[in-house]
Amino acid sequence: MPPGRPVARFIARIFAWLPLAFTVWYFAAPLLLWPVRLAVEVVAQLGFADIVRAIEQHGSDVTFVTSLRPGEARAAGGTVTVDVNLLVYSFGLPLYAALVLAVGERGWPQRLAWGFLALIPFIAWGVLADFLKNVAIASGPLVASQTGFVAWQREVIAFAYQFGALVLPTAVPAIAWVALHRDFLERLRVAR
Amino acid sequence: MLRFLVLFVLLQAALFGAELTPWAQEVLVVPWTNTLARLSAWLVTLFDPGVVATGKVLRSSANGFAVSIEAGCNGVEATIVLLAAMLAFPAPWKNRLIGLAAGVVAVQALNVVRVISLFYLGQWNLAVFEFAHLYVWQALIMLDVLVVWLIWVRTLPRADDGGGRGPPPAAATASA
Repeated sequence: MPPGRPVARFIARIFAWLPLAFTVWYFAAPLLLWPVRLAVEVVAQLGFADIVRAIEQHGSDVTFVTSLRPGEARAAGGTVTVDVNLLVYSFGLPLYAALVLAVGERGWPQRLAWGFLALIPFIAWGVLADFLKNVAIASGPLVASQTGFVAWQREVIAFAYQFGALVLPTAVPAIAWVALHRDFLERLRVAR
Repeated sequence: MLRFLVLFVLLQAALFGAELTPWAQEVLVVPWTNTLARLSAWLVTLFDPGVVATGKVLRSSANGFAVSIEAGCNGVEATIVLLAAMLAFPAPWKNRLIGLAAGVVAVQALNVVRVISLFYLGQWNLAVFEFAHLYVWQALIMLDVLVVWLIWVRTLPRADDGGGRGPPPAAATASA
């Protein structure tokens, strides 16, 4: 670590990388977040196959096609669909990328890849919890009653949604970065 | 490090769960959010008198545009992450308390900047407001938390300071 204000120089490098990281993330999101859609699809098929018929990706949005009937049109045969914006749960990716690139150590491509892989399940958590919150809580009693969730399950869904929306998208990239840059952190800690 | 990370995640989940209880919402979160709106309005009126705060809503009397400070925008979650990080990291309690006091001020100060900047961005361009609100400011607030934590960790006593903690001197010499 070169001498003199190491944290300030590190912050400056993060801000130098952030605009590029956000730009790449925003425009490459349909491709970058395809694994998230895959993870959500696997979990939905394993755990909620009775509710979710299909999951479609349109750009950076995913659409959950359900078997639930909308309250107002039960007789008409329509089904409920829920759109979730993947970007809302994945803005930690450019933050993580900027942090890794700001460190700029050997092995940064591997660290980028490992961090990306580590973040996918947590982004998927947020997306799935958003969907469940919509059908089990926000959609009203006519739709919610078809999901079969009881009161305590709706409480769990509410907590999972709040945690997945408010804490995980920001905290997990920082945790992944700390876990994968312990040597750098130690050097930053002792540098004068 | 593993102990720190596990403890950090558990503390975060526990503190966040506590934040969601009706008692915490009523006694801490809602009053704080209203205070944040009033503080933001007071700061804005120093240079723009046409701004008023009603509860958690900041409103322009000139064009009617308003922002409502909701969960995730009041800095409470960022403060919880900082609190969990400082409690989970091995440190003397005195350093923790000083770090928390300074850290909460740093996080909330930047959050006031976020609220005010979003208030004006929204009046200028709603698409830019959405992008800044949903993505950029969220990342910047967490970056603030991380930087505060890094600076705090650097202030902790080390083995070569006689504090009985930190890396062996050889590691420090090799990397400094």
